[in-house]
Amino acid sequence: MKDKTLIFLLFISLYASYGQVTADSIRLRFIPEFKNAPLEANKKYISANNDTITIETFRFYLGNIKIGTANNEAENLEKNYHLIDFSDRASMEVAVKSPTQIENSLLQFEIGVDSLQSVSGALSGDLDPMHGMYWAWNSGYINIKLEGTSSSCSTRKNRFQFHIGGYAKPNCALQKLQIPLPNKWETKKELVVRIDLANFFSYINLSTTNSVMIPGKEALALAEIAKQMFKLE
Amino acid sequence: MKKIRYIALLLLFAFGLMGFHHWFNTPIYFDVPKNWPKPTYNFKENPLTEEGFQLGRKLFYDPILSRDESISCASCHLQQTAFTHVDHDLSHGIDGKIGTRNAPTLQNLAWSTNFMWDGGVNHLDVQAIAPLTSEVEMDENLEHLVQKLQKSKTYPELFQKAFGSRKITGQYLLKALSQFVVSLKSANAKYDRVVMGEEQFTEIEQKGYEIFKKNCASCHQEPLFTNGSFENNGLTLDRSLNDLGRMAITKKSADSLKFKVPTLRNVQFSFPYMHDGRFKSLTEVVKHYNSGIEKSKTLSKFLVKPMNLSERQRTELVAFLKTLSDQEFLFNPRYSFPREKIE
Ligand code: HEC
Ligand code: HEC
Repeated sequence: MKDKTLIFLLFISLYASYGQVTADSIRLRFIPEFKNAPLEANKKYISANNDTITIETFRFYLGNIKIGTANNEAENLEKNYHLIDFSDRASMEVAVKSPTQIENSLLQFEIGVDSLQSVSGALSGDLDPMHGMYWAWNSGYINIKLEGTSSSCSTRKNRFQFHIGGYAKPNCALQKLQIPLPNKWETKKELVVRIDLANFFSYINLSTTNSVMIPGKEALALAEIAKQMFKLE
Repeated sequence: MKKIRYIALLLLFAFGLMGFHHWFNTPIYFDVPKNWPKPTYNFKENPLTEEGFQLGRKLFYDPILSRDESISCASCHLQQTAFTHVDHDLSHGIDGKIGTRNAPTLQNLAWSTNFMWDGGVNHLDVQAIAPLTSEVEMDENLEHLVQKLQKSKTYPELFQKAFGSRKITGQYLLKALSQFVVSLKSANAKYDRVVMGEEQFTEIEQKGYEIFKKNCASCHQEPLFTNGSFENNGLTLDRSLNDLGRMAITKKSADSLKFKVPTLRNVQFSFPYMHDGRFKSLTEVVKHYNSGIEKSKTLSKFLVKPMNLSERQRTELVAFLKTLSDQEFLFNPRYSFPREKIE
């Protein structure tokens, strides 16, 4: 009897040390695009404002992924933050817990890092400051980093640099998105979110707005615009 | 059957240890001096251990942290001057490049809530990102630095001892540095011993103390000799730097020309003074407060009325300021360059 208990305990501890609870999960896939075609680094694009654009860096934080209806409590599917980086394919797929209620109709997530994490010092994983998404002189996370070049920018090497962030009021740049889920979404294993950067640049005059690297009104406006890029397939 | 039971027990024990690898650390208790406020640093999120402290200390003194391995934290923060940059008004960094501010002292930071002269950094653990990545200081990139440390002969082992993982991360690097910096505590100056009733001020020092309490203590509050707030103490704006201080962070004009009130502990040795190192001596500083205050919109209300200190009173005030020197802190071998091999 005693031996059995011991062996049972042993299995439990083995399970706790190494066992990953692999409950049913669904996948969120993010596809950065430019005018409906997959985004390519350093390819020349023309924006709606006739700016010639190439993209070098596009990264952002994804957090608080939930599914819910418009009026009920949303169900949290993933607590961790994810750094989505367009130069790293693997980062663009995020596995989340399958929701238990299928009558839910809204996919909810946040672009950016909330104020609690922004005042909590050096964090780990995707939030580790070594990923270059943290401001050194004015603490806080960079929610979205978008960099590239355009002949419309009279900056050094024609670069544009958007480091969009800010956690403190009144300049909190965190964006909450709620996107209606398609019919029969519950039969799918994967939800695809397309991010069309052409959308972003259609709102921006690159000759005047090309370098925003601190929290403030400008960053807030850009965060609002960035939100428009996300579409659920 | 007995054997199985034995093996199972052993394995259970091993798994137990894996879950609690902090077990192998040597915890350090952070001693709060009597009658001092509670520290603001959250030790629960970064428990002090001897291994973590020693790792942080080694990192602090190691130029490997800079791009060309020429500059360490100690290049700008020297123990004998309470961890400020000796004799430099603006700090010098990599390739001889000059920054825009004077390096502050590093002491009693466990009680600080904002860091840097403008308070732009909101947590001690992320403070080091600024010098590490600044083009004019150490000019490194955190990801690259972590790779450099990972490849070194000694560091993976030391991180293993401190954090239970040979895999170095930015978080561990920053937390280790914090463990050292947060431990820099100065609480044994003559002033402290007088407060404890162990020693007495001289007559001059006592008079200076009275002047201090009347004119200075509103901002340089005992026992930390700072109240942690941001104030405009009447310095004229240096047009070549145009440093507006706190306003750069909050964007509020009400914060123009405000800087963090620095501690005055060990102030005798931390010259030159102020955020731009404009004053070379305490005599000059006291003269500034007495007759050099520049009136402006954001000037602190405590400094509007002239102090009218006589020359003698100014000497007394300086004599008091010197009672804040803490030899034990300035020469504490635990804080100095780790000459002995760190095991
Ligand atoms: C090139 C000189 C230089 C180097 C190298 C340097 N510092 Fe500093 N340090 C400064 C200056 C200048 C400031 C003030 C900056 C400001 O207010 O903008 C400062 C501020 C600080 C502060 C904030 C203190 C307070 O009271 O707000 C801490 C903590 C600190 N440094 C720790 C470090 C650590 C740890 C390292 C190594 C990783 C380091 N420093 C490397 C010059 C330097
Ligand atoms: C209104 C608040 C206030 C009062 C009152 C005040 N100070 Fe200060 N003190 C400051 C601030 C703020 C700074 C930093 C200013 C800067 O660098 O721009 C400072 C800096 C200093 C420094 C330089 C410390 C360093 O490490 O660079 C000394 C020394 C000093 N004060 C002494 C005094 C003395 C002595 C008195 C009384 C005669 C006094 N202060 C009164 C706010 C105050």
